[in-house]
Amino acid sequence: MNAHIGDDAASYALGMLDELEQSRIDEHVASCPACAAALAQAFDDVAAIAEAEPQHAPPMSLRPPARMQHKASWWMPAFAAVAAAIAIAVLPSAYFYGENQRMHAAMLADADAMARIASSPHRAVAFAGANANVMYGTDGSWYCVIVRGATKPMQVAWMHDGRQTMLGTVTPHGDVAILYLPKSHRMDQLALVADDQMVGQARLVF
Amino acid sequence: MTAIAQSWQPGKQLGARRTLVSMHADSPDEALACAFAGKEPWAFEEAYRRFGTLLYSTAYNVLANREDAQDCVHEALARVWRSPDAYSRAKGSVRSFLVVCVRNEAITRLRSKTRRLRLVDRVAAEPQEHDELRTIDFVEHDRLRAALAALPPEQRRPLELAYYEQKTHTEIARELDQPLGTTKSRIAMGLRKLGAALGARS
Repeated sequence: MNAHIGDDAASYALGMLDELEQSRIDEHVASCPACAAALAQAFDDVAAIAEAEPQHAPPMSLRPPARMQHKASWWMPAFAAVAAAIAIAVLPSAYFYGENQRMHAAMLADADAMARIASSPHRAVAFAGANANVMYGTDGSWYCVIVRGATKPMQVAWMHDGRQTMLGTVTPHGDVAILYLPKSHRMDQLALVADDQMVGQARLVF
Repeated sequence: MTAIAQSWQPGKQLGARRTLVSMHADSPDEALACAFAGKEPWAFEEAYRRFGTLLYSTAYNVLANREDAQDCVHEALARVWRSPDAYSRAKGSVRSFLVVCVRNEAITRLRSKTRRLRLVDRVAAEPQEHDELRTIDFVEHDRLRAALAALPPEQRRPLELAYYEQKTHTEIARELDQPLGTTKSRIAMGLRKLGAALGARS
């Protein structure tokens, strides 16, 4: 067995090793549970930092490529040749079928998100002063702010200890603006802010 | 729970394809880890669905370009898909493993010289058009800043150079004028403390 990985666990997790060094460690941890645990822990550390950094909405096209939907096997190349011939023959309809499938997958993902909200205990309260509501999990694990008739982006703030902590921006699409906030805090007072002015306030009960 | 909500349970539409191993696991994370190690196609679909935002953001925060970030996520996952032993249960959670894979792929891309030049061009050509897509969780961000500030400076500085500037050990050792071994161990120590402060260590 090679030497234990020590500080290289952190180096691996931080992307500071080349492929050769990485595969040397992969090989070692396959037969050394202690080093595997140290490596997994370093991965968790880096993931915790990545999660605390600004998050960006991925494009809708971020979906698994078709090749990940089925496992390849020895007959795949031959099958692919036949499939390609068929695909060329029916390319236009195949394209629309593919688009349809993608839209369907996007709708299923939305339905999943809605189902998570609908199936967990939640409450909804209106913002005083604005045509807006907040739905939230009674365990404080998520908040969904919905603003109707919004014409410009607004900020959602958490009011606590005499301070405002900005949580995010609700951007209108059409005349509805929605902001989903996965959180781990119970926030009992939220405010809507537009142009540095508080335009609505909601009190949440847990 | 209503009948509609029941029929919409996450992952239900993929359930028929799950194997006995993953169905019998104790938790959704456990099930995903088993299925991921077994390279079941639904596990990859589920990983995209559950961790898409985190993985894309991880890539974006290194590459600062939407297309590059998206390519990077695809390439990192495809690499795991292609190599039979890339992930095993011993490597911990699928989520952390994929964050590291995506981040490593992003750093490799960033280090390539031509990419770096293209990046400069693109960043210059794209003013703040993506800002509306960006959600800063200020509570989380404050927590990260506070945790970093709490590290001893001799650990914080090399860790910042490694994480935020993607520098190599040699570059950091030279910049801070300290031996390579010292640099490595200070980064490792800093990462352990930061992870603990962010709740990644029990």
